[in-house]
Amino acid sequence: MDSNRIEQLLETYFEGETTLEQEQELRQYFTGSTVASHLEAYVGMFSAFAKAQQETVTKPMELPATTSNYRWIAGIAAAVLLTVGIVSQYNPEERYSGTYQDQEVAVLKTKQALGMMTKMIQQSTAQLGTVKEFENTTNQFIKQ
Amino acid sequence: MNQKTFIKITDAFKDKLYRLAKRLLISDDEAQDATQEILLRLWTKRSQFDKYRSIEAFAMTMTKNYCYDLLKAKKSNNLKIVHNNYEDHSSNTVRQTEVASDVEWVFALMKELPAQQQLILQLRDVEQYNNAEIAEMLEMNEVAVRVALSRARKTIREALIKKQNYGLQ
Repeated sequence: MDSNRIEQLLETYFEGETTLEQEQELRQYFTGSTVASHLEAYVGMFSAFAKAQQETVTKPMELPATTSNYRWIAGIAAAVLLTVGIVSQYNPEERYSGTYQDQEVAVLKTKQALGMMTKMIQQSTAQLGTVKEFENTTNQFIKQ
Repeated sequence: MNQKTFIKITDAFKDKLYRLAKRLLISDDEAQDATQEILLRLWTKRSQFDKYRSIEAFAMTMTKNYCYDLLKAKKSNNLKIVHNNYEDHSSNTVRQTEVASDVEWVFALMKELPAQQQLILQLRDVEQYNNAEIAEMLEMNEVAVRVALSRARKTIREALIKKQNYGLQ
């Protein structure tokens, strides 16, 4: 290639006024095999640029696992379960189903329940017996 | 957008992000981590991709800002002497390190440039973006890009010529 042309290109290049195509031409010239001896100083520069463009990332890219899809499905499942639950709770006909069909069973169950209650009340009143003790002891010291 | 589409989109430019980060950050590891971080941030923003005219340019801007932040944090962490004020420090320091190959030497010269010029040189002379694209990526105007580009190139030329003269003596 004509070294005069290259010299001219270099001048414009250093003024920052070359086009990308002209810069490509310069790069090709200086990374090529025949460079005029008085222009050899620039070989390093253009080879450096060419070499710098060869570098690549070596670490594999790690993206966070896409849990979003599963979350989406889980969300829908949760919503469905929730609505099913609410609907079944609000069914008015099934609300009071705990009634006894057989009268005798009902009586027995009621008796049992009442019996349990009285037992508990007795237990608590038995505890009250100790309260009397306090009165006995104080009476020994306080004379009216 | 699923992972496959995302990877397809980002694969087209992730090496460019890495190279840009590498220009500013010291180590290869740091640049790799920065790239990974930028891709993660992009991933979280994937729903807004339609809003951007160019995802690539957007990713480049993110990389630039991220690296600037890293550098700023570093500067405040360890007080480092920055000799940007010296006129001719590059050739001396570079000569001291005695980098064998010319190419490595140019890389070392580039590292001595102000951060913005490094980025512009990287985007224009290495990645071959046009000035309008660079202006968008670096959030500056085109004229400023051209001026900084010319300055960066001339700084390297001066060092090269000095080295050549030094070699001839």
